[in-house]
Amino acid sequence: MGLFVAFADIARVTLRQLLGRRRTLLLILLSTLPVLLAIAFRIAGVTEVDRFTRRVFDTITMIILLPLVAILFGSGAFGAEIDEGTVVYLLAKPVPRWIVVAAKAFSAVAVAILLTGGSAALAGIIDMFPAGSDGVSATLAQVVAMVVGSACYVSLFLALSLFTRRALVIGIGYMLVWEGALSSLLAGIANLSIRQYALGAATAIYKLPNQESRLSAETSFILAGVLVVVALVVATWKLMRFELPGGGD
Amino acid sequence: MTPEFVPSTTGPTAPDAPTSPAPVPAIELAHAARWYGNVVAVNDVSFSLGAGVTGLLGPNGAGKTTLLHMLAGFLAPSAGDVRILGRSPHRDPSVYRQIGLVPEREAVYPFLTGLDYVKFNARLQGLPDPDRAARAAIAQVGLEDAMDRQIGGYSKGMRQRVKVAGSLVHNPQVLLLDEPFNGMDPRQRIAMMDLLGRLADEGRTILFSSHILEEVERVGTEILVLVAGRLAASGDFRAIRALMTDRPHNITIRSSDDRRLATTLMADQAVFAVELTQSGLCVQTSQLGAFRRLVAGASRAAGVHLLEVVPADESLESVFDYLVRR
Repeated sequence: MGLFVAFADIARVTLRQLLGRRRTLLLILLSTLPVLLAIAFRIAGVTEVDRFTRRVFDTITMIILLPLVAILFGSGAFGAEIDEGTVVYLLAKPVPRWIVVAAKAFSAVAVAILLTGGSAALAGIIDMFPAGSDGVSATLAQVVAMVVGSACYVSLFLALSLFTRRALVIGIGYMLVWEGALSSLLAGIANLSIRQYALGAATAIYKLPNQESRLSAETSFILAGVLVVVALVVATWKLMRFELPGGGD
Repeated sequence: MTPEFVPSTTGPTAPDAPTSPAPVPAIELAHAARWYGNVVAVNDVSFSLGAGVTGLLGPNGAGKTTLLHMLAGFLAPSAGDVRILGRSPHRDPSVYRQIGLVPEREAVYPFLTGLDYVKFNARLQGLPDPDRAARAAIAQVGLEDAMDRQIGGYSKGMRQRVKVAGSLVHNPQVLLLDEPFNGMDPRQRIAMMDLLGRLADEGRTILFSSHILEEVERVGTEILVLVAGRLAASGDFRAIRALMTDRPHNITIRSSDDRRLATTLMADQAVFAVELTQSGLCVQTSQLGAFRRLVAGASRAAGVHLLEVVPADESLESVFDYLVRR
């Protein structure tokens, strides 16, 4: 009971921290973009799974919205507390560090899923549901991709934020260079690409058109699971050794 | 450096001092040091504290925060040993059931109300009735009127008080406070000092840092003076204060005839050096009060007009420098 109370309290405070920041408003605006495009497509009478996936999901939701939202929330879950100095109020408590990490990760993943998964679901309902059962499956598959991608990005960059204050910059670099440029050149990178885990997991529901998912659904779920667990274990390990600076005094 | 040491049964004691078989000290440092690369922040510091209030005094950059972070378990000592209630605080979250910590940084979750923040602390401490404990802690710091307002709208002093309430809510045996009086107005300061005194009277061990001599004077009779990472002095405040008072003072005087005034001043016992400089007379005296009276009479006797009398070394740093050099 005590641990659950601590988890819930830390998660609640983290949620308020993440949602109360100005950049969250920008992310909310960004997450409405696929929905607005879906509305425009619907008005124009284009309700094909193939076209919507290619023009909106591939180019905006998967490549920009998901990594940006999840990296910002993942790196910000601890990063903001460390920068502002409030992390001391969590650490000076008899709470197991894994609870602190789990609560932070839970909140950041939840907010990331709310924005990315919510955006994908709403856009799919608007523009792909009219295409019939394929549209419904494609929407569900895209939501699954958002869920798996959010969990992976958040966990990885939450852990990284405990090692460096530049986790966000590294995250943007990872998103642009590793997953953007290098993954199209080197096929082997698929095993180390969160984007590929997310797309691979989506195929468990539906084979999204034009997607180059290089991993099977099973492999994707396993690799994503391993990544999340390892990242959170490493974050706990680091938090147990976390040191506050001495300050000017 | 010759640290002043006044043995005390409740205040700071050197670890090698003869002690009776007493219970484990609440706070104990043995040759503790902490360095960052080539920079030594805390250097070979040893002391132990029992119940009572102790002031950790030192100029900015002396290593006070580093020392408090080591005691709070947030920094591992690079050398030596740090113990709270007989246990190493580093990597042992359970020790926080017995420690309350008020950090120097002002930041507190701005979106929480004062009551919510203290309840948050109470719940993370696993208290059976967080609401009751939080209200009691808030009453202790006198913040009842503002407890339902968001902390973001608090003044600096109110934030300090709510931080103290959060650190007190679980009734800790050891309270560590880093510059707790920062941002408080004089009335709040006195109230907080009285609170620390009451908490100490209940048998707690309280260590607070400050760079303001007068703050320490009112709260704690025992002090630790940290200068450049080293323990320059420890013990009874009055003894150390006397050392500080008796030290030579440098005073710069500008007058209508510095040379004539210098001759008159040199005749007095309170003055033991006078130097004529471009900017005026530099006078060294060991009795500041007597000199103030003397200079007025001497200038009248010499028929000299005083234009300016300025103490040259009244900064806290110079006081600490004197203690270190002594």
